[in-house]
Amino acid sequence: MSTAHSNAAKEFLKNQTYAKWHDATFWAVRTKRDNMAYGLDEWEQLREKASAIKRHTITHLDEYLDQFATKAEENGCVVHWAKDAHEFNEIVYGILKNHNVKKLVKSKSMLTEECEMNPYLEQHGIEVVETDLGERIIQLKGQAPSHIVMPAIHLNHNDVGELFEEKLGSEKGNHDPTYLTYVARLSLRNEFLTADAGMTGANFGIAETGDIVVCTNEGNADMSTSCPKLHIAAIGLEKIIPNYDCLAVFQRMLCRAGTGQPTTTFTSHFRKARPTANPMHIVLVDNGRSEWIGTPDHWEVLKCIRCGSCMNTCPVYRRSGGYSYSYFIPGPIGINLGMLRNPQKHSGNVSACTLCNSCQSVCPVKVNLGDQIYRWRQQLDKFGTANPQKKMMCKGMSKVYGNENVYNLVTALAHWANLIPSPLINNGLNPWADGHKMMKFPKETFHSLWKKGKVK
Amino acid sequence: MSNKDDILKRYRANVKEKFFDEQSGKTGYDMPDLSDIKATTYSNPLVQFMKMTEMVGGQVLEVDPGRDINALIRELFPDAKEIASNLPEIKIATRNPDTVDCASDLNGTDVGIIRGKFGVAENACVWIPQTMKEKAVCFISENLVILLPKSQIINNMHEAYKRIDFDEEYDGYGVFISGPSKTADIAQVLVMGAQAARSATILLMPE
Repeated sequence: MSTAHSNAAKEFLKNQTYAKWHDATFWAVRTKRDNMAYGLDEWEQLREKASAIKRHTITHLDEYLDQFATKAEENGCVVHWAKDAHEFNEIVYGILKNHNVKKLVKSKSMLTEECEMNPYLEQHGIEVVETDLGERIIQLKGQAPSHIVMPAIHLNHNDVGELFEEKLGSEKGNHDPTYLTYVARLSLRNEFLTADAGMTGANFGIAETGDIVVCTNEGNADMSTSCPKLHIAAIGLEKIIPNYDCLAVFQRMLCRAGTGQPTTTFTSHFRKARPTANPMHIVLVDNGRSEWIGTPDHWEVLKCIRCGSCMNTCPVYRRSGGYSYSYFIPGPIGINLGMLRNPQKHSGNVSACTLCNSCQSVCPVKVNLGDQIYRWRQQLDKFGTANPQKKMMCKGMSKVYGNENVYNLVTALAHWANLIPSPLINNGLNPWADGHKMMKFPKETFHSLWKKGKVK
Repeated sequence: MSNKDDILKRYRANVKEKFFDEQSGKTGYDMPDLSDIKATTYSNPLVQFMKMTEMVGGQVLEVDPGRDINALIRELFPDAKEIASNLPEIKIATRNPDTVDCASDLNGTDVGIIRGKFGVAENACVWIPQTMKEKAVCFISENLVILLPKSQIINNMHEAYKRIDFDEEYDGYGVFISGPSKTADIAQVLVMGAQAARSATILLMPE
C-alpha cells in the first residue's frame, strides 16, 4: 500500500544519522519562528490581516494587475505577460537575445524552477549562473532544490566541500562552511562582474507604485542587478499586493515565519532600471493561476507567500526530505500546488500528511493546507489514482461496519487470527505489515465486556 | 487578443463565477482595515535599534558631536586602501560611485560609505534610497558604513512604509539593509559575508 512518497522516503531514511539531523534542524527553525511570533503581541492579528489582505487581493487581482502593469510602464519598465511556462521561457529568451546576452546571473526564483527556465535557456546557448549560495551549490551538483528557502539542505558541509574541490578548486579537505562560503563569494563575484544580464524573482509586486520587492539575506539579488546592464524580473500573478501598507504586514511576517529572523538583510525595491542600464523588463506569469482561482476548494493556495514555514513544521517533511515528493515544491504547500498542476502525476504526495494541521496553524497567511490535502484525498478515485488495495480494503470494511450481524461475528472471531503463525502475516504479501506491527486481537470484544458490566 | 487581455479576462471570469454574491451585488472579499493593527512600539526606539543591529550581526556606534567622522572611519578600518563614497563630508574617499565609468570599477572597494534616511527599531532595517549613480557601492564593498541621523529611529515597518521616499534624481530604487550580508546555506551554519558586504557598521550621527 506504499505510495510514491513513502517509497521515496525509504531512500531518505536509509541514512538515519542524516535523517535525524534533518528533523532536528527543521524543528530548530520552527522553534526560532515561534520565538519571533511570541515576541510580537500582534502576531495573531497580523496573520488575520495578512490572510484578509490576500483574500481581498486575489479576488480582485485583475484590477490590481492592471494597476501594477500601468504603473510599471509609466515608470519606464517593459511589461510582458506569459500565459504558461513555455511562453515565459520564450519571452525571457527573446529579451536576452535582443540584448545579445551570453551570460545571465540570477537570484533565487521558484517561478523559474516551475517553468524549467534554466535548461531552456541553456539549450539556446545562454549561460545561466545561480547566485544564491544554496542554489549555486545544487546547480553545480546538477540537482533540484529540496526546500524552497534552504535549497541545499540535503547536503552537508563535506558534500559541499568535495563539490567545491572539484568545481571551484577549493583546498583539499577544507570543508569549513566559512571557508567554503568565501570560495563561493570569490567565484560568484567574478560572475556578477562578467554577466550581461541579471534576473530576479519577486517576493511582492506593489500595484500602487509598480515596485518589484525582493527579499534576500545574501544580497545576491542586488549584486545581480547592480553590475549587469539589464534586469529582468519574473513574477507570478499572485505576488501582486495593493500598496505599501499591505507590504508592511507581509515584510514583518515573511522572514519571521520562514527562518525565524526579524527581517531579511535586504528588502530591495526596484522601480526602474538604474540610470546607466537598459530599461527593466517585468514578466508576469499566469501558468495556471487564472484557473486555480476558480477551484472551489483550492483557490486559497494563491495566498501563499512562499515562506517555507509549512514544510519546516511538517512532521512528514522533516522526516522524509524534499526529494521524497514528486512535485518540485515539497511539504504541505507543494502537495497542494502539485495536485492543482497535475493530479494524475502528483497524487502520490497526498499521503505525505498526518492531518495534524500544524502547517495551517503556523502559516502566516492562514492557507488551509491540511484541510485541502484532506479534500484531495477524497477525490483520488475521480483522478484514477486511488490505491486498488486500499479501495478493496475500504469496500470490505464498509461491508463489515455496515451490517451489525457481520460486525459482531467478525469481531468475535477476530482473536483466532492471533493463532496464525507470524511469518504468514508479517510478510511481503501483507501490505499492512510493512512498517506496522500486527496487532493482537482481544479474546473478548468491547461490546461483550460492556454488556457484562465489566467496563467501569 | 493580447496576452494581457486574455489572462485578465479569464481571471475575471473565474472570480465572477466563484465569488459573485447576488444579495450584495459584490464580487470577492473586502479589503480589511489596517489602521487598527496594534503594532509593537518601544519606550526607547534608539536602544532597541542598537540592540537589534548587533543581533543581526552589525556594529553600531554613537558618534559624539564634534567628532571627526573621517578620522573615526580611518580608525575603524586602518588597513582600508580603497574607500568609495559620494558624500560631501567624506574626504578620505578614493573612488566616487557618481563618477566611475561603470559599476564593476567599484569592485575591490574595502569600505563603502553611504547615508541612511531612518532606522527601524524592531528589526534594525535602515532605509537607503539610491542617491548615487552606481548603487553597486552599497553591495560590492567588503565593509559597509552607513551614516544615520540618530534622531531618525522609528518603531516598526508600518511606520517605515508610511515614510519611505525615493530620491528625486535617482528615483528607481531603494533598499532596507539590516546588518551584513549573510547565509546559512552550507549545513545551516551562519556565515557573515555571502555575496554583499561582509560587515555593516551603523554610525549614529548627532544633529
